[in-house]
This record gives sequence, C-alpha cells and structure tokens, in this order.
Amino acid sequence: MGEPRGRIRSEARTSTRALWAKPRRMARYAVVGLGALAMLFPFAWAVITSITPSDAVLSVPPDFTPEGASLDAYGRLLETLPFWRIVLNSAWIGAASTTLQLVTSAMAAYAFARLPFPGRGALFAVYLATLMMPLPVLVVPLFIEMRAFNLVDTYFALLAPTIASAFGVFLLRQAINQVPREFDEAAVLDGAGHFRIFLYVVLPLIRPALATFAIFGFMASWNSYLWPLIIIKSPEFMTLPLGLATLHGQFTTQWDVVMAGSVVSVVPILILYVFAQKHVIASVAQSGLK
Amino acid sequence: MSVREALPDAPPRAPVTHARPKRRGGWRYAGTVALFLLPSLVPLVLYTLIPMVGSFWTSLHEWDLITEMRWVGLGNYVELIGDPDTRAAFLHTLYFIAGYLPLVYLGGLGLAVLLNRAMPARGLLRGVYFLPVITSWVVVALMWKWLLNPASGIVNWALGLVGVSGPGWWTDPDWAMPSIILASAWKDLGFVMIILLAGLQAIPREYQEAAMVDGATAWRRFRHITLPLLSPSTFFVVVISLINGFQVFDQVQIMTGGGPGGATQVVVSQIYDLTFRYGRAGAASALSWLLFALVLLVTIVQIRGQRRWVTYG
Amino acid sequence: MSRHIKIAGAVAAAALLATACSQGSATRGTTAEAGGKVTLRYFTFSAAPDHVKDLDTIEKAFEKENPNVDVVVETAPFDQYFTKLQTSIAGGTAPDTFELNYENFVTYASAGSLLDLGTVAGDGDTSVYAQESLNAFKQDGKQYGLPASFSTVVLFYNKDLFDKAGVPVPTADWTWEDEQAAAEKLTDRKKGVYGDFQPVQFFEFYKTLKQTGGEFLSADGKKSAFNSPQGVKAANWLVSKVGKTMPTEAEIGGTADYDTNLFKSGKLAMWHNGIWQFAGLKDVPFEWDVVVEPGDSAKASAVFHNAVAASSTTKHGKEAWAWARFLSASNTAATTRIQSSWELPPISDQQILSGYLKDPKPANRQAVFDSLKSIALPPVIKRQQEMQDAVTKELSEAAAGRKSVEDALKAAATEVDALLG
Repeated sequence: MGEPRGRIRSEARTSTRALWAKPRRMARYAVVGLGALAMLFPFAWAVITSITPSDAVLSVPPDFTPEGASLDAYGRLLETLPFWRIVLNSAWIGAASTTLQLVTSAMAAYAFARLPFPGRGALFAVYLATLMMPLPVLVVPLFIEMRAFNLVDTYFALLAPTIASAFGVFLLRQAINQVPREFDEAAVLDGAGHFRIFLYVVLPLIRPALATFAIFGFMASWNSYLWPLIIIKSPEFMTLPLGLATLHGQFTTQWDVVMAGSVVSVVPILILYVFAQKHVIASVAQSGLK
Repeated sequence: MSVREALPDAPPRAPVTHARPKRRGGWRYAGTVALFLLPSLVPLVLYTLIPMVGSFWTSLHEWDLITEMRWVGLGNYVELIGDPDTRAAFLHTLYFIAGYLPLVYLGGLGLAVLLNRAMPARGLLRGVYFLPVITSWVVVALMWKWLLNPASGIVNWALGLVGVSGPGWWTDPDWAMPSIILASAWKDLGFVMIILLAGLQAIPREYQEAAMVDGATAWRRFRHITLPLLSPSTFFVVVISLINGFQVFDQVQIMTGGGPGGATQVVVSQIYDLTFRYGRAGAASALSWLLFALVLLVTIVQIRGQRRWVTYG
Repeated sequence: MSRHIKIAGAVAAAALLATACSQGSATRGTTAEAGGKVTLRYFTFSAAPDHVKDLDTIEKAFEKENPNVDVVVETAPFDQYFTKLQTSIAGGTAPDTFELNYENFVTYASAGSLLDLGTVAGDGDTSVYAQESLNAFKQDGKQYGLPASFSTVVLFYNKDLFDKAGVPVPTADWTWEDEQAAAEKLTDRKKGVYGDFQPVQFFEFYKTLKQTGGEFLSADGKKSAFNSPQGVKAANWLVSKVGKTMPTEAEIGGTADYDTNLFKSGKLAMWHNGIWQFAGLKDVPFEWDVVVEPGDSAKASAVFHNAVAASSTTKHGKEAWAWARFLSASNTAATTRIQSSWELPPISDQQILSGYLKDPKPANRQAVFDSLKSIALPPVIKRQQEMQDAVTKELSEAAAGRKSVEDALKAAATEVDALLG
C-alpha cells in the first residue's frame, strides 16, 4: 500500500509517497491497536468478574472498579476442586495427545503430499470425512466400543479419539504442499530416502505449521468436554472442563468461581502460544526461505 | 498471460516428472506408504470410522439409549425429511455459514496481512488477537450477551448516541442469528489469522521483491503473488471453516439455547437434544447422516474446484 | 543426527505411553468383589459442588455399619448427569445405584432400567418416609426408588422494601390479587427496583395452573388439559408481570443468576424461588423472610424431589437397598442434610425435622413445612423433556409479546398431545 514502489520511479514521486508513508503507518497501527483492545475485552471482563464478590457479579452494566474485589473465588476454586490434580491431568493428557497427533498427522500429511499411490484422493476424502460427523452421535457408539475393549474409565480411552487428527493431516498436508519440490529433489540427489527427506527436509520447513497445529491440538484436548464426561468415572481422572462443570449445581451456579476457573484455564494455552509463536518466527528466519 | 508468469523470476512451475528417491510401485514403496499412513489410519478407523458405522446402524432404529433398539428401517430418515423443524434447523445453519464465513475470512486475511508487516509489539498484538480463540465459549458468550444487551449493553448505547435505536439482538428472533454470527466471527478471527500468517511466512520474499522491481502496485502484488501463493492456506481455512460451520453448536447453546422461539435452532443443537434430552438417538443419528451427506457434498465440490484456484509450490 | 534421535525418541515415548496408560485401571468399571467386599457404585448429581463432604460423611457412616460394602461415589453436574447416565446404561455399565429426580423417574421406570426395590427389601421398613414422597416413586404398585431429598418453592420477600413503601408484608393468606397490588406499589423502574420475579416457564405454569384450579393433563393422562380458561388465567398471570412488575427478557439480558443478584442487591421485593437459596442469602444487608406462595382459588406449592434408585442390572440388590435406605432415611443422613441445608430429608420423624426450624434465618422456616400441606407435583410423561421444552418455548413467545397467550397455549397443547399420542 504505502511502500515506495521501487527505484525506477522518479525522485519527486518517491518523496511524496514517503511523506504519506508515516501517517498511513500510524493509521494502520491505530486500527490494529484498537482492534486488539476490543479483543482483550472479554478477558479483562472475565478477570474482573472472577475477583468481584458473588452478589455483585454480572451486574448490568458491569462495574469495572468493583468494591470489595478479592481473590476469594480463586480460594474457593482450590477448595471445591482438587484443583492441581485436575490441572496436572489435563496438562499431561494434553501433552500426550498433542505429541501423538503431531507424529501421526505429520507422517500422514507427508504421504498425502509426497507419496503418490492409487486411491490417494479417495483416502484423503475419508480422512476429511471423519471431521464431518457431529460428536454427540459418535460418543455413544464409541463408548460401547470402549466397553467392549474393557477400556471404560482409563487414560487410554480418554486419549484414544485424539491419537489421530484429520484436521492436523489436512493442515500439515497443505503446508508440505507449499514446500518447493526442488528441496526434496536436492536431497534425493544426495541419495536420501523418504524418511530422511521427511525428517531433515520437510519437517524443518513446516515448523510454523507444526507449531500452529501443536497449539490447536493442545487446545482441543484441553477444552474437550463431552467425551471425557462420558468415558471418565473416577474423580482422579477428572480434567479441567469436567471440574469446572461441577460448579454448576442442580439449582444454582457459582459464576465467580466458574470465571476464576476459566481465567486459570487459559493460562497454560497462552504460555504454549507464546512459546510456539517464537518458534514460528525463529523457524522462518532459519529455514533459508527468507 | 498472468502477471505472475510475466515476472522476471517467477517461481518455476513444478516440473512434470520429479526425481524420486525410490521408484514407484513395488512392495518396498507400498511398505513405505503404509508406514507413513498407518499410525493415523488405525486410530481413525478404530475410534472414528467404527463409531460412524455404529451411528449408521443406530439411525435405522428407534432408540432412547435405555431400552432395547427397535428396527425402523429408513423410518427416521423419512420422518426427518418431512419434518419442518429439520428444514428450519438446516436453514438456520446455512444462514449462520453465509454470515460467518465471509466475515471471519476477510477479517482474518486483513489481520494476517497487517500483522505480517514489521511494527512495534507485533508479537504481542498477534497474541492478543489470538486470545479469544483460546478463551472458552462460556466466557465469550456471556460477554457478548452483555455487550449486545438490548436494554443496557454498550452496543445499543453507542447506537443511541448516533440516534439509532438498537435492535433486541439475541432476544429478537430476527437479530438472534446475526448476534451469534458476530460473536463467532470475532472469536475465530485469530484462528484464520494464525493459519494465514503461517502461510504468508512461507512465501519467499524474493517474489515480492522481484515484483516491486518490476513496478507492480501493492494491490497487484497482493492479487497476483500473495493471494495465489496463499491459496493452499486459504483452501484449508475455507474447507475447515465450512466443516466447522455446519457443526456450529457451543455458542448457540450458551448464547440462545436455540431461541428465541427456535430462531437459532441449528442442526447440531437438534442432534444433541434428540440424543441426550429427548431419548431419540436413532433420529439424531439419521439427522447426523443427512448433515454428513451435505457437508461431504460441499467439501467434494471444493476439492474438485480447488484445481482452478489453488496453487501448490 | 540429534534431531533424528529426538523424533525417534518422541515416537517411542508415545508408544510407551499408549501402552502404559491402557493398563491404568482397566478393572475399574466393573463391580469387582475383592476379598469378599462388595463394591457398590453410586452416581449422583446433587452432591457437587457444595455437598461432597456431606455425602462423604453419610458414606463413611454407612460403610461403618456395613463393613462388607465399599460405596464408590461418582458425580456429574445436573446438566450433563443424564447424558452420562443414559450412555452408561446404553453401554451396559449402569451404576448399581443412582439418583433420579421426580421428573425423570417415570422415563427410567417405564424403560425397565430400575430394580423393583420390593424384591430386595426383605423386611425393610418404609414407614419412616413421608408417605406422599414415597408414593411419588412408585409405579404400578412397585417401589422403584426411595425418596432421598426434597426442596419446595416459596415466596421470598425483602422486608425492608415493604416497610419503606408502607406496604404490609405477605402472609400465608395472600392471593394473586394481593401479590399483584403489592408488586405494583413496590416497583420503581427509575431506581431499578422490581416488585416481583417469577420465571415464565413450565414449572411455574403447572403450579399456577393448579393454584387456579386447573389441570395440566386429563384424568387418564392421555391428553393435555391446560388449554382451558384456567390455563389462560394462569398463563396470563405469569405473562402479565413481564415488563410491568418484573423485568423483561431484554432487560434481564440473559445475565446468569439475574434474579438472585437482583434480590441480593436489595432491588427485588418478591421472589418466587426454592429453599436452596437460603444459604446464599445468609449475609445480605437487609431483612428478608419467606411465606407460602399466594394462590388463586387454591394453594399449591411446587416440590422438587430427588430419589435413589437401583439399576435393574445390578448384581448387588440387597446392598443397593441398604445403601438407598441409609442415604435417604437414616438418622445420620437426615441430620447431615438438615445441618448443612442440603435440601430436606423426606422423612416423617418430626423430631429430626424440627432441627430445621432452629436456624434463625429466615424467621418463618415453618413456611417450608406449611407449603407441603398442598403440593403440586409436576405432570410427568414419558417424553418429559420435550414436553417441558415445548411449554416453556410457547410461554416465552407469549411473554415476549410475539404471540397471544391463547395462541401460545393452543400451540403448546397441540405439541404436548403429539408427544402423548
């Protein structure tokens, strides 16, 4: 938009453009900044709600300088739930499921992008098709299947549906398709096989996509609710969304504690995001694509 | 002749034949393919495809989950196709997609392009835009209900300042779906942004620079370099957003519960109610298969159509 | 090279993990008898989040009396409880004993999912129960559940608001007219003060219908009967409050617990709600009390019952009976419930119940027992949830002014008839 067009243009025009470049940049920044404020709003609201005494919660309009603000809700969160146990469960299940998905999805994505075989398109369609069935009708047959395997109420059953992710296969396939084939070909000339190309050429080049998918994979596991609800019985396997749901009683709900729980539950994903984002930028810098 | 081909050092088109590590065909090659595919294929078959078959079997029965299944053949399908509630649910879902998809894609694209430029605190800004994506729908939905509160929400207050009397938003059957669309697009902007950003970063800078030297305007560079090279990411975003859009559920459940007066009852709300609240798992499964057929059709059309506009490296 | 190792390591770790956690506790789901001890599973929605400890107290006391039984408690929030219960029944892993509310009881009893407790009771005595409560969980003369707890709905009022406005506080003799007159005087929209709050939905409707002498279903239970002059009167009574003495849907703005917070902030004069609110109102800075709800031609108070039932597939019928009975009617259970305000035990022993009256707030706790003199049990059909949703939906249409009360009732009656037919 506002950038100088190139060295071939006349001096005069370039300087006019340069004159406009700064205000434009400022305007752009203002737009992005204002938008960012609008994005921060719900989070600020959730934090405020979580430190507001119960009876003032959700007053309309909300009070952004609530009197008697306290961390009481966080205290009750720790009191009503075996909180750290639950967070630990969610964290390691999330980590396990993300690791498994990254491995299985990247491998399949490589096959779909780089290894032609008869029926490849059809098989890819089957993968995609697994995303199209609404979860509420799958959980009952899946539960019955798990029952047949005698896996009800186990960590494995909790993880099972997240070992493979068609979403991940699709995302990573698109990323691999963007990697110029010349790179593989160079490796082939060096005598590399598919595993080496996959590990040393393709994977490093799609690190932004891998990092992105890691966030989504973790998020999906971290927030998943319906399946854990159904397959888990023992309190010691409880995950965070299940724990937070227990704050909704038959007749009443403690909204400030729910909000406190929601605030806390965002933190690990935020950390992961910050970590992964760094990775995204760093990998582009190294990849030689620059 | 497209501008892209006219560029001095446009990326070379993929050659027709590639050097390959092993020749195609043969057991060894088949083994390699299998090795790459099985880690995902086995769990998908076990934990998604088999339950899908199970749900198809269920769809041929009347079943409340707590008594024995009763065979009804295609009865559930026949009943659903003639049912005005089903038709309404599909229409509401399509309405949602028609509003949501353009908003979230164009918004996400704009953000990705803006935030791909160098600017102060860029990483922080990206993080902020991503925040709604990772915030739970409970928080987001409650907040939007409050923003769009017809009596005392900020939005109607602001509209009042410029002399517009705001609508009843999600309490008004005509405005309830737009309210949900708005909240959903707002929440998912960051998702589209992060996917497109990853795509943008994969575009070699030489192409842009070459075009600049060539004197192409910013718009032409965007239109003829950025967009085509971003097309695999765009394709992904559109396909996934459509698949997810057809299954819109959480936000509806929390914001309106399908109301007011059923104006936002979408297909998956219907499926959930039928399975777990109304004891009609058979009908719910049949409805899921109808939805599945529709989503599959739409996705196949997109996959067929992608050859016309999606450019791979 | 190192990267190669890292990735190979990750794959190996993932594989290990998959096998390791599949071992976890695969034996758990079943009712295993280890060392002659019976493991009895109990699934509940009413304990979490506030009364997990109280349930634990009862459980410990039971296990002390029955050393051969190990009760394993599983909880789920009410919203998702039935999702989980249905799935576990479908998968053949129903818990031995589980909680059911009155509205859902018929569905499960008719489906054959419940054990006829009469077959395992032995000489078990049921005279300790309040008989109406006990009878509520009978079907075809068989006792499919034991009432475990109940709550009633009463009229809460803010005494300070009444005093300030010079309006006499509600009494047990009040009728709808008295309530309406007071509500109009107490409503001060400029200050955001409302006179009344009664949600427009199924549960309030069947009750007000009874208060005005109407019936929800025909005597044989095969047709709806609420599309009647009484039905119109009851629906009008509810709908007419909206926007006058009560905030509209738009004003409530979907705020969670709007009414609770309105009452707690001293801006609501009268509030139709359940006795489960007592605990939350302990520290409000104004005087409040409760009274039996006003009626029209009759008095009728809503009662919410929860029961303990046993699965028809349980292998431990005798133990299930013992636990169900202990949980619902033992002295330990009854006193624990009363002390922690965990609803009320459905027992006939006035001695124990009188403990409930000792708590100083609200002063008129007696109203809770008075309300039991004329109770309105919700109409229950096999397709309960659909009926409740249909009635609530049509009534909200009327409340929002999108339909006349008459049209809404007509539509609701058509839908309910279809569900019955």
